[in-house]
Amino acid sequence: MLYDLIPHIINGLALGLLFALLALGFMLIIGVMEVINLAHGSLFALGAYVALAVMVPDGGLPFAFMEPYYALPDVPRYVIALIVGPLVVAAVGAGLELCLRRTYGQDPLYGLLLTFGAALVLEEGIREIWGSSEYYLPIPRGISGGFIAGDLIYSTYRIYAAIFAAAMIGLLWLFLNRTPYGAIIKAGAHDGEMVRALGHNLSRLRLFVFAFGAALAAIAGIIMAPIWGIRPVVGVDAVVPAFVVIVLGGVGSFWGAVSAGLLVGLVVGLTAAFATDWSLLSMYLLLLAVVTFRSRGLAGKASVLES
Amino acid sequence: MPLPAMQYDRRETTAWITKPILVMAVVFATLPLWIETVGLYQYLGVEVLIWIVFALGFNLLLGYTGLPSFGHGAFFGIGAYAFGLAQFEVWANLWFCLAAAIVVTGAFGAVTALFLAHRRGIYFALMSIAFGQIFYFIASKWTDVTKGEDGLLNIARLPADFGVVELSTQSNTALYYLCYAVMMGLIVLLWRLTNSPFGRTLRAIKQNETRVAFIGYPVRLYKWAAFTLSCGIAGLAGGLFAMAQEGAYINIMTLQWSGTIVLIVLIGGGFVSFWGPVLGVILYFVARDILGAYTETWLLWFGLMFVVLVMFKPDGIAGMWRDWIAPRLGGRPEPSPRPAESRS
Repeated sequence: MLYDLIPHIINGLALGLLFALLALGFMLIIGVMEVINLAHGSLFALGAYVALAVMVPDGGLPFAFMEPYYALPDVPRYVIALIVGPLVVAAVGAGLELCLRRTYGQDPLYGLLLTFGAALVLEEGIREIWGSSEYYLPIPRGISGGFIAGDLIYSTYRIYAAIFAAAMIGLLWLFLNRTPYGAIIKAGAHDGEMVRALGHNLSRLRLFVFAFGAALAAIAGIIMAPIWGIRPVVGVDAVVPAFVVIVLGGVGSFWGAVSAGLLVGLVVGLTAAFATDWSLLSMYLLLLAVVTFRSRGLAGKASVLES
Repeated sequence: MPLPAMQYDRRETTAWITKPILVMAVVFATLPLWIETVGLYQYLGVEVLIWIVFALGFNLLLGYTGLPSFGHGAFFGIGAYAFGLAQFEVWANLWFCLAAAIVVTGAFGAVTALFLAHRRGIYFALMSIAFGQIFYFIASKWTDVTKGEDGLLNIARLPADFGVVELSTQSNTALYYLCYAVMMGLIVLLWRLTNSPFGRTLRAIKQNETRVAFIGYPVRLYKWAAFTLSCGIAGLAGGLFAMAQEGAYINIMTLQWSGTIVLIVLIGGGFVSFWGPVLGVILYFVARDILGAYTETWLLWFGLMFVVLVMFKPDGIAGMWRDWIAPRLGGRPEPSPRPAESRS
């Protein structure tokens, strides 16, 4: 019995690592800008759509002059998609941050409302360009399909997704904790005014962090695309688990978010093994159970968002 | 930094009926007579009235208490399902079914509020999203009761039974007048409520919850009551909507639906005015029908308008009226109550 659950556990962990990656970008934005970015899910979806357009000729943006490019083998096209998608989304995120500047210093609710409007605009924009039909992002042959170990079938792609997401989380940790840029970001999350007083350009830091968080959302979106499919509403499916992970893990805690992501993924994966229809509900029940007893989540500290 | 304060007129605060209420009564009483001559249709009037009921109830939470709920669509949906199920399973009587919609939704709201009443700001918003999603998932998967994706079909437009006479609500115009009566009754009650000591306390909580608690008010109880009441009103609107649509469908419980009500109330100026939600609903539906006639993606333009509004005029239409138009009409010189401009 337990043995049969192993593929579900692996799927759940892959999902959890992707949720954690998405949530970490979200948390960087909360930390430095004190803004709940409701458009984060739309940026996630946009990343997948841009990757789709880069990957395949019928992915919504047919450019005749790109014919020879689409003749390339799939691995280089996939790698290019993984680079171009986040870059485009980072630019969109930077634009969003410029709009957000007017809400700094006001009640954090205004930032929330502005990004809610932005999410609506992005989703409708996606509908305008790509339509409402569902797409699937093709993946290189090397990481598609499945394999049999023991007498169970594993999906190769999910294992790839888990490893990729874990590597990204590791790199992000190194970036935040072992480089001077990471130190500035963490200081900016702690006390923006002091960072400014020390001579760093706070506006530029905010622009960069927002773009960086958006790029992380896009990467999660591209990795998730072959699993979930690409639809305009996929943003909502993604942004809500990101909230759950943040609230569950506690705002401002890196490892809190990672462990909450893994926990959510495991719970969703295991519920899916027994009752597929209810798998997403279990995530919210987990949140309620934890937050009722620990109101700041597993590892949260007091934050500005409570006022 | 607190949210902008509600504006109010000292002379009118204790009155049950005020000039704007009379204007509302007259404009909406005559609406079915002229709505078709301006190129719109009767059913739109019904929708507008139901949304005004929903939005006014929601603003008790957002505008008066400062609690941004992003899961209110779920309660609208619970009201619609409760109305349908009461009609099918218990007693097909209009008053009973509407009462059932209010009471059942209020009960769901009361339980939810137990988990939410001690939260504020962004944490409240996130938790309300979680609750909205919980109710949405239950409604979409519990197919024995809610019929899942198909929705509850064939909900009847029940006649209004007054004992001696029984008025049919089959036509859109008749249903309009039923909704009109409900809306006007609600407006009078809410106006009085929001200007009562209870309403003043809610406003104070919006401005500074901690200070209100220090004075000795049971803040959590007030927030719980505001949430429950607001859910009951959402249930009433949901029940009327089930009747208007002759069915209850799952899409009204989605996060998008919950977001739409936030957007509408804010665009109208619910933060600063009792009438903000009404203005927002009218603007939204007129935009939907006029922009929608020209472009498929009217929501894109509406969303852009919303973003620009939050950036430059977060007090919405009511704020524009207060700052730009009312002073030129030579009305009473009202200082702008935005906290940024006053010493705190």
